[in-house]
Amino acid sequence: MKGSFRTHSGSSTSFFQRFKAPRTATLVLSIVLGTSLLAGCSSGSSEPQVGSAESAANVNKEGFPIVKEKITLSMMGPDVGMQNWKDMPAFQEMEKLSNISFKFENPPLDSFETKKNLVFASGEYPDIFYASSLTQADEVNYGSQGILLPLEDLIDNGYAPNLKKVLDENPAIRKSITTPDGHIYSLPVINQQSIWYRSPMWYNGDFLEALNVKEADLPKTTEELYDLLVRFRDEDPNGNGKKDEIPLASVKLDDVRSWLLGAWGIYGEDIYNDANGKVHFARTEDGYREFLTYMNRLWSEKLLDHETFSQTPDQKKAKGASNQLGLFQDWHAYFTHGGKPTTKDPMFIPVKSDAVDKPAVAIHPGLSTGAFAITESNPAPEASLRWVDYMYSYDGAMLFDKGPEGLIYETVNKEDHTKKWKPLPSEYNSREDYRGTLTPNYGTPAPTLLSPDLQKGLKEDFDLWVDKQNEEKILAYDPQPPFPILYLTPEEQSEISSLRADMDTYIQQMEAKFVTGQEPLSGWDNYLATVKQMGSDRIIEIYQAAYDRWKNS
Amino acid sequence: MAAVIKESRSDRIFLLLNYVYLAIALICVLYPLVYIVSASISSPTYVNSGEMWLFPKGITFEGYQRVFENQSIWQGYANTILYTVVGTLVNLLVTIPAAYALSRSDFVGRGFFMAMFLVTMFFSGGLIPTYLLVKNLGLVNTMWALILPGAASVWNIIVARTFFQSTIPKELQEAAHIDGCTNLRLFWKIVIPLSAPIIAVMALFYGVGHWNSYFNALVYLNDESKYPLQMVLRQILVLQEMTGSGIGAATSGEAAMAMNQRADSAALLKYAVIIVSTLPIIAVYPFLQRYFVQGVMIGSVKG
Repeated sequence: MKGSFRTHSGSSTSFFQRFKAPRTATLVLSIVLGTSLLAGCSSGSSEPQVGSAESAANVNKEGFPIVKEKITLSMMGPDVGMQNWKDMPAFQEMEKLSNISFKFENPPLDSFETKKNLVFASGEYPDIFYASSLTQADEVNYGSQGILLPLEDLIDNGYAPNLKKVLDENPAIRKSITTPDGHIYSLPVINQQSIWYRSPMWYNGDFLEALNVKEADLPKTTEELYDLLVRFRDEDPNGNGKKDEIPLASVKLDDVRSWLLGAWGIYGEDIYNDANGKVHFARTEDGYREFLTYMNRLWSEKLLDHETFSQTPDQKKAKGASNQLGLFQDWHAYFTHGGKPTTKDPMFIPVKSDAVDKPAVAIHPGLSTGAFAITESNPAPEASLRWVDYMYSYDGAMLFDKGPEGLIYETVNKEDHTKKWKPLPSEYNSREDYRGTLTPNYGTPAPTLLSPDLQKGLKEDFDLWVDKQNEEKILAYDPQPPFPILYLTPEEQSEISSLRADMDTYIQQMEAKFVTGQEPLSGWDNYLATVKQMGSDRIIEIYQAAYDRWKNS
Repeated sequence: MAAVIKESRSDRIFLLLNYVYLAIALICVLYPLVYIVSASISSPTYVNSGEMWLFPKGITFEGYQRVFENQSIWQGYANTILYTVVGTLVNLLVTIPAAYALSRSDFVGRGFFMAMFLVTMFFSGGLIPTYLLVKNLGLVNTMWALILPGAASVWNIIVARTFFQSTIPKELQEAAHIDGCTNLRLFWKIVIPLSAPIIAVMALFYGVGHWNSYFNALVYLNDESKYPLQMVLRQILVLQEMTGSGIGAATSGEAAMAMNQRADSAALLKYAVIIVSTLPIIAVYPFLQRYFVQGVMIGSVKG
């Protein structure tokens, strides 16, 4: 009896073993089939019919409410943990105006990317993506599969009058949100307030005061900058009797690189175009070699933080808090110093080398794509588009930037849009905390038009001071965006990704070696040859083609 | 008993080296613990600048204060306890009977079932198909998504099976059968009472697993009020990292300000949260530890 059991179980094992290989193959096959089936399902139609007579009939083309009969749509967007979206006054007010209500799905900001990919994979899409940071690859990919609806026809047919006006006034924006197949799959954040391509660099005001350097005397050339950094190092500007000053602070050079590269006429740290429409790759330019030489000089004289390549942003910040840093990058200087906003620390003035007449200064393109999209499951694309179009008007942008009138601000002058702050309710620590409970446009890339008018009357002394610094130290230098926002075709995208995988690592390592002197600058030709061999010319070629396509579209 | 055998020279050298080695091992294990405890009551500035490296500096209890005020941490705590208790019960309910059945040599098709179990150890559907399955079962955004898909761990079944094979003698089973005992009764009345060590070990394995897991929650849960503690902790840490490096990419001054605020508060919170979230496991461990050694060792040595 027992024996027969054993034989049985034994034989079943060997049965299994004998068929293990084919079984595995079947498994693999079925997974492959399953996946392709899945992909097949979702790519049903490549040119979907956008909207229908029925969904369009319910929509008013002008004014409010947007729909005659109340509809409910689903929306996915990132939660920053301040307030549930359904309880936000901005959404509630908008629902009253538009007659459109939403069912929200809000994964937290930090896991949004994962959730977004799962949603695309699972085939059950929200009707609307809001503040969703869709990547350009997402748009090209899911757009061509028909999951994201092309919006240009609806825009041109009067369902987005505000946006259309902006696009007509700024053809460059339209070019930048149109994918190579000629469709617009996502709506952008248009930010007319933004200036900084990278957060600026700031001088430590205490150091300057101790050394008696006036703002007007701040360095304007690389040599003057060098001299000032030497003084930071040698003259104990923090006055603690120790030589613990770090003249120039950085984390892996990512923060200071683009500012200093401008001294040699380079607009961006990666791909950029010059005034003649020629595309350059910064890391193979002669100016980049000069930059490396300069940084190596700062390094060897202990002017550049020797922990540059090992420290975290937090560690850099901690040094700032103990008043050790002379020149550093951050959004505002007081983020690094700690404490309250102060106008004591002046902004870095772009410096120039002998090689150029004026420094190259980059400015933010004022646009980021992928903020809003409508999916194929949306029963009312026309209404959805009209809904979001409100965000591109002053009133709508205001509603979603600061919440409904009368909570955090009130209007002083309706004509010129002057406003003033209302007193802060006592349960909130700061105005920003309060704002985070009013609207979803808080630390998220939401579809909107941020015009300078939005802040009118709301700027405090510190903001006005920053504006003035911008005026004098960035806008006065005829800045330009390094490279327009544009889409690559999927083929171009994948070629770039595969070329850059190794190249970027190599470039990063070599930069550190050149700067720290581990590799002498005589090795530059070698470096250049290696990068070229890794395909830098091809990368320039691809971006040149994309740039030309963008320019001529 | 005064006549102790004198230790030879080599014995003493051995002993000395032994102590040195153990001391090094102790430092390796203890240092991170002390560091985190110290960091949790130090000012973040000192921690980030590296000035605080062993003992607390600039002592502040603000981190703990914030933890105790933070509603989502306590919500996460409650959720984690619920998921751990229910999850571990389900795990035991599945694992122990399966392991016992597979340990019986007179179980028909034992080899076949064992092989089927083993397949799942080496092959899995992958994230997306698994997600689709869980979704179609209607488990997304419920606690069962964290409990049911991982209810049976094959590895643990094997460990438990080996334990049963080596500690429950076949004679015991035969004697029980002769006295007219059914299989079910044998299992409940004889096998289970004899298996306290392995049940404790399994409970610890599974329990710690549930306590520490965040990935399933990340994938399957949408509702923040359902997040387990580790997910809340992760949120704090990730946000700090994102904001630390991401302020440069902020779209507006207001966003940058918001991010900066969060980074500051996360720096203050993070070590305190680590302490608060690991304390229960550290507290439970000594009580289960003796079973732990017994259970796993029996399984491994005699297996």
